[in-house]
Amino acid sequence: MKFKESVITNEPIKGLTTFIIPTKVRDVVTISGSMLGGTLFSNPENNKISSLTSSMLDKGTQNKTKHEISDKLESLGAEISFISSSRHINFTAHCLKSDLELVISLIAEQIKNPVFPDEELNLLKKRMIGNLEISKDDTKKQALIGFLREVYPEKHYNYRSTIEESIKDIKTISSDDLKKFHNTVYGLGSLNIAVAGDINNDFFINKIQKYFTDWKSQNIKKLSKSMSANKRNESIKIKNIKDKTSSDIYIGQSIDVSEDSEDYLGLMMGIYILGGNFSARLMQTVRDEQGLTYGIGSTLAGCGYGTSGHWYTWGTFAPNLIEKGINATIKEINNWYNSGITEKELISKKTTINGSFQVSLDTTGGLIDKILTNVEKDREISYLDNFTNKINSLDYKKINKIIHKYINPKKFTTSIAGSKV
Amino acid sequence: MNNQFEQIKSSGDIDEYRLKSNDLRVLMLQDTSTPVATFMVTYHVGSRNEAIGYTGSTHLLEHLMFKGSRNFNKEKGTAIWDELQSIGAQINATTWNDRTNYFEVVPSEHIEKAISIEADRMRFSFLRDEDRQPEMTVVRNEYERGENSPFDVLDKNIWATAYQAHPYHHSTIGWKSDIENVSTERLKEFYDVYYWPNNATVTIIGDFEKDNTLSLIDKYFGEHKKSSHEIPEVYTEEPKQEGTRRVVVKRSGQSGITAIAHKTPPGLDNDMYAIQVLGKILCDGKSSRLYKKIVDKGLATSLFMYDFPFKDNGLFITYAFLTPGTDNQKVEDIILKEYSDIIKNGVDESEIMRAVAQIRATVAFSRDGSYAVASALNEAIAIGDWQFYTTFLEKIKLVTINDITRVAEKYLVEDQSTVGWFIPKIIDK
Repeated sequence: MKFKESVITNEPIKGLTTFIIPTKVRDVVTISGSMLGGTLFSNPENNKISSLTSSMLDKGTQNKTKHEISDKLESLGAEISFISSSRHINFTAHCLKSDLELVISLIAEQIKNPVFPDEELNLLKKRMIGNLEISKDDTKKQALIGFLREVYPEKHYNYRSTIEESIKDIKTISSDDLKKFHNTVYGLGSLNIAVAGDINNDFFINKIQKYFTDWKSQNIKKLSKSMSANKRNESIKIKNIKDKTSSDIYIGQSIDVSEDSEDYLGLMMGIYILGGNFSARLMQTVRDEQGLTYGIGSTLAGCGYGTSGHWYTWGTFAPNLIEKGINATIKEINNWYNSGITEKELISKKTTINGSFQVSLDTTGGLIDKILTNVEKDREISYLDNFTNKINSLDYKKINKIIHKYINPKKFTTSIAGSKV
Repeated sequence: MNNQFEQIKSSGDIDEYRLKSNDLRVLMLQDTSTPVATFMVTYHVGSRNEAIGYTGSTHLLEHLMFKGSRNFNKEKGTAIWDELQSIGAQINATTWNDRTNYFEVVPSEHIEKAISIEADRMRFSFLRDEDRQPEMTVVRNEYERGENSPFDVLDKNIWATAYQAHPYHHSTIGWKSDIENVSTERLKEFYDVYYWPNNATVTIIGDFEKDNTLSLIDKYFGEHKKSSHEIPEVYTEEPKQEGTRRVVVKRSGQSGITAIAHKTPPGLDNDMYAIQVLGKILCDGKSSRLYKKIVDKGLATSLFMYDFPFKDNGLFITYAFLTPGTDNQKVEDIILKEYSDIIKNGVDESEIMRAVAQIRATVAFSRDGSYAVASALNEAIAIGDWQFYTTFLEKIKLVTINDITRVAEKYLVEDQSTVGWFIPKIIDK
């Protein structure tokens, strides 16, 4: 499949671009949309405003109560969800073809005209705080928070608040904060909507125009790209959580590379060979040969939108195997760093990544995820068609140089969350 | 069509064939939406076929099945993960109460690779002790990860309390001491009893050429004979429950969980359709009865119920994840009061229509992608009739108000219930 030929791109309204990809699936339609306004656009003093605003969109509009909205959707078996990611406000809907107009109208109504009732906000805050309290016992989440707070400075996009800080932020938010955020951030301008499935192009465009034309425009600027991570230091963070039979470990460091860098794909591939899937080195040694863990992997993260990110290895170990597990992991990372990847490994992983790309297009959700992520990153649709060529052009000797350019095995941050032995 | 196969029946665009030489069943559904196909083998063996001393064996065996077979192994440079992941396949296996499945989602041109690997390990898996030892600790860490979760622990306790004789008593991953101590010989015995073509169903969904694929299945699976023994049946029945059972789990944590379980009939029982609708009315979505009375009142952060159709009797379980400070008993009372209300006053037609619409959409979404179809079909195969998948929606549409009241009265019975509480011990960390 060629994306450039299969995806129909339109701008039916100024500031709203649609990407339509009809497939042979019967009756089903999946829609996803996004616009600038994620958590990084919140008031700098309180980064929870964006996520509370999006979570309140289904709690009532100028014309419908929350129960009228949910009754309408559920009577069709349709679903609409709103969420804030770091940069974007995202929505996703699944419905049957016959219900598409109603679902589009409900998306538009909720995103354009929410009313943020105080009673609903208080209820939502109680639930969000409850979930945050529960996450204090989540070993994976706690290990990740510890890791990100160590490798990034407080103002970095990839820095993470503690649970207590998040709870404090949520408690102080009022419905006026949400109304102000909605009024100044939500609107046409950067809105992209992708749809896939049993869909007719003209019908979809017509309904988008019908329900979105009257929306106001916003002029939201993209975030500046330059953002430095913490200077690397060898460090260890430990969070003790009682009664846990398995601990989560993050080992890694900040990394001065973004997805826009010409070194990015090479580094991504090098790290994929270390820990990208089951047949990668970490799973083959630390799990398959030594039996120390159920799961271990390694990846680059936080490198999107021109920002430098980090790379990490994550694994789980029983409390009495933590030291052994970390030593085995570090040994494998050092072996990878010192000996480099082989040409044979690269050939194998090229077909893995290219084949995975093809397999990921098997569902409507997989298709539009690729399209929307691509457009959010300001890439031409042809990037998706050229992806295979980019992967195939990678050279193992260059990758080994890139690994040495960006990775420093002497300065890892290790974050552990779990129970002491 | 390949003359080694006999066509058995068709339903909902799916065709069933039997490989005459060894009774392997084959289900095929062509869909050329994308150049991808899913190949799945479902073995009719799960944790239901285990007993004390070797609980978790089906799952441990599933892990060992990736360690190598006659033609696909590390020694030959053809390890299963390497062979499949190098072509970009999504590959995995899962074990549950009534079945074990192995699957590959592959670019269509690689379907032969998936077929050849699955056929090879059906009868020629190595199952070596030197592989079991490191894999045992891998599985033990999987068990330990599950034990980290209050929900997982409570769920295991509820099944273990509700079912005393029947093997649904233990969870699929098994008891820790059994995982650690079961012998390789016991696993081999398990393999030699259950891993045969006449105890398996092969499913191919997506973009493939039918005649060619049947020929490939014959080529690779056709070398196996059918088992020389009858596949053993599980004959243990759960004795009648005579009174409410309660189980409490106390651990470090921040907030509680309240769960209420009631026994349900086997998955193929006609009452299961009304039970599925009843579950939607009670717990599915923001318009459902319990969501409005529990989550909307700030008593729980979330709520869900499950009533999976199994080969034997199952459980209808409602879970409420409480907000900090909420009393378990208060939520238990609300759930039971709602059950009583349905038994006493029934439900509205609009509630049934909403539930049926939700199921109709779920069924349509379950056909989005070849893996989604194969996965849903796999569960129908497991309970004993793959047409449960193709006829499900039509049967659901026949459910009436009277059916809902009748099944609520018949199954949501106090003496058939098991109540589970997770009580957090809030400790300063």
